[in-house]
Amino acid sequence: MGREKEKENPSQKALNLLRTRLSNPNFVFKPLSDSPDSNYSKLKFIISSSITEACNNSILLLGPRGSGKVAVLELVLSDLLQQYPEAISVIRLNGLLHGDDNCALKEIARQLCMEHQLLFSKVASFDDNSQFLIAMLRECGLAHKTIIFVLDEFDLFAQAKQRLLYSLLDAMQSVTSQAVVIGVSCRLDVDQLLEKRVRSRFSHRKLLFLPPSKEDTERFLEHILSLPKDSSLPHSYTVEFNGRLKNVLADERFKELINTYLSFNSTIGQLMRFLFQAVSYMDLDVGFLSLENFKTALSSTQRQPKSECIKDCSILELYLLVCMKRLEVKEQNSYNFNSVMTEYKSIHDFQTSDNYAGNVCLRAFEHLLQRELISFTDNRGHNQSVEFRPVKLLISPAELYQGLKSYRSCPAILLKLIAR
Amino acid sequence: MPAIADRNSSSFKEIVAAIKSDKSGDIAGSNGCCIPQKRRLRSDAAAARESPVSTPMKLKSPRRRLNSSPNSPANGIKEDFSEKPVKKNWNPRDVEHMRAVKEALHVSTAPSTIVCREDEQKRVLEFCKACIEQEKAGSLYACGCPGTGKSLSMDKVKQQVIDWATKEDLQPLEVLALNCTSLANTSEIFSKILGKHQPRKKTMGSTSPLQHLQKLYSNNQARAGSKMMLIIADELDYLITKDRAVLHDLFMLTTFPFSRCILIGIANSIDLADRFLPRLQSLNCKPMVVTFRAYSKDQILSILQERLLVLPYIVFQQQALELCARKVAAASGDMRKALCVCRSAMEILEAELRESASNLSLASVEEFISQQTAPALEIFQSEENNTVRIDHMALALSKTFRSPIVDTIQSLPQHQQIILCSAVKFFRGGKKDSTVGELNKSYIDICKSAMIPPVGILEFSSMCRVLNDQGLFKLGQSRDDKSKRVTLKVDEADISFALQGVRFFRNCLQ
Repeated sequence: MGREKEKENPSQKALNLLRTRLSNPNFVFKPLSDSPDSNYSKLKFIISSSITEACNNSILLLGPRGSGKVAVLELVLSDLLQQYPEAISVIRLNGLLHGDDNCALKEIARQLCMEHQLLFSKVASFDDNSQFLIAMLRECGLAHKTIIFVLDEFDLFAQAKQRLLYSLLDAMQSVTSQAVVIGVSCRLDVDQLLEKRVRSRFSHRKLLFLPPSKEDTERFLEHILSLPKDSSLPHSYTVEFNGRLKNVLADERFKELINTYLSFNSTIGQLMRFLFQAVSYMDLDVGFLSLENFKTALSSTQRQPKSECIKDCSILELYLLVCMKRLEVKEQNSYNFNSVMTEYKSIHDFQTSDNYAGNVCLRAFEHLLQRELISFTDNRGHNQSVEFRPVKLLISPAELYQGLKSYRSCPAILLKLIAR
Repeated sequence: MPAIADRNSSSFKEIVAAIKSDKSGDIAGSNGCCIPQKRRLRSDAAAARESPVSTPMKLKSPRRRLNSSPNSPANGIKEDFSEKPVKKNWNPRDVEHMRAVKEALHVSTAPSTIVCREDEQKRVLEFCKACIEQEKAGSLYACGCPGTGKSLSMDKVKQQVIDWATKEDLQPLEVLALNCTSLANTSEIFSKILGKHQPRKKTMGSTSPLQHLQKLYSNNQARAGSKMMLIIADELDYLITKDRAVLHDLFMLTTFPFSRCILIGIANSIDLADRFLPRLQSLNCKPMVVTFRAYSKDQILSILQERLLVLPYIVFQQQALELCARKVAAASGDMRKALCVCRSAMEILEAELRESASNLSLASVEEFISQQTAPALEIFQSEENNTVRIDHMALALSKTFRSPIVDTIQSLPQHQQIILCSAVKFFRGGKKDSTVGELNKSYIDICKSAMIPPVGILEFSSMCRVLNDQGLFKLGQSRDDKSKRVTLKVDEADISFALQGVRFFRNCLQ
């Protein structure tokens, strides 16, 4: 028992370590940012040159959701805050919260007050806040302090009159201020949303966050999932874990699996979620990652809820579904329970088992409605009884076929009927 | 003297080489190791033939020299040898030098003399002088695209008018310069004007500032020496309200008999005066319109050169500036963009030098024993690598003007590319929009033809949503996922271009 406990502890600890890593965006994006060509270095270069040369700059970070824009930005900002501790102050705004100009200006004033330990008054008007902003920009410019504005969900700031964007970018055109405006957005055409005069003042620098190449992804996977040599885990365990991991990663089936996953979602954020699931499926008794874990994770991301619903249906309910599908194939656009019953009876011209009475079928029909595999097409006819109201299928033919195929004891006639 | 001739000849050589390499289609890359050697070899023959750079003191004008030189291309690239003899070398690794250049090119640095806008400035100045001399009110409207120097010129004119008034011993002028975006609401502009007139008095509650002003201007309360006021209102279209009252009242202020304000409005639309101030025409007081046209290629070039004149060294090659001016003039004529592109090109040069420096330090460590680094070092430190070349400028231009759409489409996951492809095919027949359900059918067909298993409807609609977030699709609202309307927001040609590398998509989009 002591030995089992010993064996269990390292795998539990390893699991915790891996899970912590995968949920920490700083760790995840650091290895991808090491090359000099990466977005991290480019962004760092632009911001640090604006700080050291005391000039203004504006830049857009574009890319699909989950590609690490804010994560890389935070990495850059934390590095710069260490490098120049007194020379930067960061103001963060989000388009979802501060899309309105008044709100945004209030938030800017509040954050500036917090940074510089001033008193913030909630009743300050729009005018007061904007005067404060201009005064602060001037003061910070004189004191050689750069203000970095981070505008998340930039496309939401570019709606309506864009006054905030205009005043920020216009303030940057004067010599006295030292500011950097960083916009983060997932829309690629966000600069087309800007008004012409705002667009003219924007410096058109864009950093595109694209998913990494195949080789980068492979290296990245190995780096993320390997246990570090200097952790508190026993050395032999670490070595064996990493060895087995290498084997799994080099396996052709694993590569195919990853390619399949990446053909749906290629962003790093999604890949992290997938790895988190795979790692969570690790068998603690065995203590090592195996190909099965990844396979299970992949199948759990590709769940088809409606097909799974089919597994819980009774045979009669399956018959009803197949009848409805046949009615649809026959181009009958609206049908109700009675027409389904007619179809059902016509199927059973051939055999007599599985032929149930009308009220039993009605009960099965109501089950299907509750489970939302079918639904009424109109919202009004509550006065009519269930048998007369038109219904439609909520499950596609492909899903139905899939579900029937994986049903434990599906009658052959159903498969024949649906395949025709 | 020999040093100067050398430099001139070397830059001529590299211009010829650049033209040749340009024509042959391969722009000199950042791998500077072998290319300068090649340049020397290639253009040796050309350099032997050319003679004009041997005596820098007796230079002919660039244009005439160009016509007489046998190798000059037909598109008229000028060579500016006239003031180069006195310029030092620019060392891009020197932080001070870099900073000076970046400052010279920054949008916020207002140059001391504003070139290419002398006509417009003169007109505005004459107008203001006339108004002040006759002690009459007047209105002027300056319009033009963004980045054409309107606010800059108005600032200059403001200064010039003040100086002129002091020189002529006239009444000093009151100036109110404001940007209409900074007003909390549109009628605040009147309180600001009133505040300038009567800085100490607070307005009484019953009359609004506008009425106060109107009363002020319609009575002959003008004491003998009351001041004229110059109002410069930037971004005038922020004052346009639904009933157009504010803008109208503002311009009407200048029509009162005893009004003493000169109003200058700045905006982008050319016909603002016609559209929003029709009644002024009947009173015969339409504002004078000064149009600031978009900059042409020559104007942009001369402005850039003017800015770079302050520096004691050469930073940009002439052709690089020309390329920039040509491209920006063709696109929008916006000066800010030109400055931005120049700065971007400089940063590319900086990055290249940093990378080559780190490569060089690696290489020099490796080859220390073999002692082959000496000629390589020489080449690296030659001036050819110290100016912004045409390839840097081309790269900067492509980064600024190219939309990221093609890159993004190429890096989308495979299924999303198939969805885009199916959308293109579906909308080819002239239909403009469709539902997610029908698009799904088209998508399943394409997947079947490629023998790729299609994804389920849930995954499909979430991929459509991802494409919507990125701005490639536009999804409408609907309660049911399947009946949301889908439109394609990207041009079909862009998608075909982006996907042409993959044979499957090429055949599909045939």
